[in-house]
Amino acid sequence: MTIIWGGLALGAVYALVAVGYNIVFISSKTFNFAQAQLMMVGTFVAHTGLVTLRLPVALVVLMATAAVMAVAAVEERLAIRPVGDPEAVLVTTLGAAVLLNGLTQLVWGGQPLTVPFFGGDQVLELLGGRVYPVEIALVVVAVALVVLFTWFSRRFVTGLALLAMAEDREAAMLRGIDVRRLAFWTFAASGALAGLLGVFVGPKTFAVATLGASLALKGFVVVAIGGFGSMPGTLVGGLVVGLVEALAARHLGSEYASISVFAVLIAILLVRPSGLFVRTRERAV
Amino acid sequence: MALWRRLRALPTWILPVALGAVLLMLPVLGLDFSASRQIQLACILALLVSGLNLSLGYAGELALGQAAMYAAGAYTAGMLSAAGHTDIAVQLAASGLVVLAVGLLTGVAGLRLGSWSLAMTSFFLVLLVPDVLAVFAGRTGGRNGLSGILGPTLFGRPLDPTGFYLVIGVVLVAWFAVMRNIVVSRHGVALRVLKQSPVLASSMGISAFRMKLLAYALGAIPAGLAGALFANLDLYVSPEAFGFTLATTVLAASILGGTTSVYGALAGAAVMQFGPSQSSRFQEFALVFTGVFLIVGGVLVRGGLADLARKAVTRLDRAAGLTPQPASGTEGTADIPPIKGATLAVEDVSKAFGGNRALDGVNFRAAPGRVTALIGPNGSGKTTLLNMVCGFYRTDSGRILLDGERLEGATPHRVARAGVARTFQTPSIPDGVTVLEAVAAGRYSTDRASVLSAVLRLPGFRRVRRADREEAERMLALVGMGHLRGERASALPLGMRRLLEVARSLIAAPGVLLLDEAASGLDEDEVDRLAELIRRIRAAGGTVVLVEHNFRLVLDLADDIVVLAHGQVIAQGPPAEIETNPRVLGEYLGAAQEVA
Repeated sequence: MTIIWGGLALGAVYALVAVGYNIVFISSKTFNFAQAQLMMVGTFVAHTGLVTLRLPVALVVLMATAAVMAVAAVEERLAIRPVGDPEAVLVTTLGAAVLLNGLTQLVWGGQPLTVPFFGGDQVLELLGGRVYPVEIALVVVAVALVVLFTWFSRRFVTGLALLAMAEDREAAMLRGIDVRRLAFWTFAASGALAGLLGVFVGPKTFAVATLGASLALKGFVVVAIGGFGSMPGTLVGGLVVGLVEALAARHLGSEYASISVFAVLIAILLVRPSGLFVRTRERAV
Repeated sequence: MALWRRLRALPTWILPVALGAVLLMLPVLGLDFSASRQIQLACILALLVSGLNLSLGYAGELALGQAAMYAAGAYTAGMLSAAGHTDIAVQLAASGLVVLAVGLLTGVAGLRLGSWSLAMTSFFLVLLVPDVLAVFAGRTGGRNGLSGILGPTLFGRPLDPTGFYLVIGVVLVAWFAVMRNIVVSRHGVALRVLKQSPVLASSMGISAFRMKLLAYALGAIPAGLAGALFANLDLYVSPEAFGFTLATTVLAASILGGTTSVYGALAGAAVMQFGPSQSSRFQEFALVFTGVFLIVGGVLVRGGLADLARKAVTRLDRAAGLTPQPASGTEGTADIPPIKGATLAVEDVSKAFGGNRALDGVNFRAAPGRVTALIGPNGSGKTTLLNMVCGFYRTDSGRILLDGERLEGATPHRVARAGVARTFQTPSIPDGVTVLEAVAAGRYSTDRASVLSAVLRLPGFRRVRRADREEAERMLALVGMGHLRGERASALPLGMRRLLEVARSLIAAPGVLLLDEAASGLDEDEVDRLAELIRRIRAAGGTVVLVEHNFRLVLDLADDIVVLAHGQVIAQGPPAEIETNPRVLGEYLGAAQEVA
């Protein structure tokens, strides 16, 4: 059961990255490779705030949110807006990811840094397994976020505008939606979210510069399983990836953890190329 | 300028050959150890980048797994060497073959995916390298790396550092010769067609999947060779050498040099090797530099250094007066050879998208030597019907026959090979090829020449290439575009691009020619030329299906008219009949009923 809890928490981390991917994908049909790196920057800021500066938690949360939001805003302006076609965006956001990796290594060094969890770190017994408070928090946050986003997108004008934009960008434009502005602010919001989540993710993963690549890819697997743009899909995807990784590492050995996730990815992509929760459309000329 | 003119009179392959010679001569001129090592690493990087260019730049596939292929090549060579097989030629061959196999295997699974999925999946492959090596730790040394690699030999004699340098140089020169021969051949043009649009490729009879796989698997080979060379350079390989950093460096070098170029790989690799990855002082900044290169490269320099070089050459050519003045157009005077038209029969075809019945029991027949026009208001199902004939949609029910052979259910490239050629509403012309090449590409599937024969320039390839050129010249003369043969095809005005599409379709001598709104956007003069061309195709015995909005043109040209409305055929017959059919006038022309 301890393994299951660990896997669920890990899956929640991946799902959180995937939520970030999806927010950007829904708003601008682009794929932000640097999403996981944004979250990584959040973990570093959390480390600096909580460990180095010993600031109160609320302040650190604000700090991480604001800092990563600013980074995301810069990324949108420099690496996404000026680029036309979606394939070039993949290259430039990959560039942003590499750049963030390099910069964080310069600033914080290559060693893993601890990020204490504000909810404490005493082990709890739950349903016959041992679990850290932060692991429970991660699962709760992931579920809450998906519910919140779904509710927001149905209930509010901005949310509906987002959905309209995702459905048909030009039609949304003709309806008087400022598509570029909306895309910018959604991107910044996805950054703010990544920063905020850094405070939750850091205690589980540590703040380390190599975090980005692995998170980015596992987060992508989650999206591939759940389907691009599907929020409930991220929960299912995260569940699958987290459990597969934890169980494979436990029963087959740590070197099989990623290999098993890859096998799942290939299987899913071959059977349902657009994910489990998105309907395929027949191709048109 | 006189010097430039003299330079341009030389064949274009002189410069690369000279560069290769200089590269091989360098050790004779005296190179210190670190400079020599840097050059060798740059050569290895250039091989990796070149492979990426083939799949990313030419075929348009975001497959970023070069680092994994590189690792496969390095470990193949390293394990062979540790087992006593030190001959570098054997290792190169083995690495090349192993990597080709890996490329085919991963390609079959990965290439079904679209752009991002393929990019992420191939990146994932890179991430897995240390894990896979750890699984086979007994043979590969796992995370500690593979040591015990013996010094390389060639034909039984040990290689000194200079000898090994020469091996690297020769491999590099040989691969670039192969790459260049592929790219300038008809296969290179076919790859660009694929990059332009898989739909276009398959409607020209090119299997998009096989073409992607070809580019991907071929692109793996230089990575395998590079791996074998790398293993013998340091006599030690470890998983760290094949990580995320290398993958992004290769991508950055490719973009910097220009992904759609042959020699850009050299420039990009040199910049990345002597720039960011240079000395240890800059090591910690390497990632930052790579990131900046990727962003700036992606945003600003679309074609990379290669594009800048091309522009400079064009400018110098113009200054030196080398640009040929376009001769005045020879109007379509060439004769059309007799065409063996086929009968296209659409029988009771229905198609629904969700609840929307796009086609409902459609029947019509297009016969050789006749122009059959398909008209109807927007949304009446004309284009859906064309796409159905071409195999892009599956029929819900009914049959589509070409001279009695069933077409429904066949893949688009099979339909095209069966003899169905088409043009598009928005002309689809590959980028970076000349008008002549674009037209000749229409013969890709009718007259075959293997990649190997193109690489080695075998007589079979030369014969096909000659036939390609002659036929394309003839087709261009036919549509009156002979004087434009050397122009960049994608830069032509709309009318010319439409005629080019017709020429490209005709060159395959198709049984049925489908023209999708071929006259829209043309001026009066161009419409007349198109009409004349269609009449001559009909006279030569071709079967023409014309989807058209221009009612005058249709009445003028067509022998039979099929009128579609709401997915059903509402009238069918000769122009005189359709012109006065009250239902057609009501539905299609929006004329009031009292006219009838």
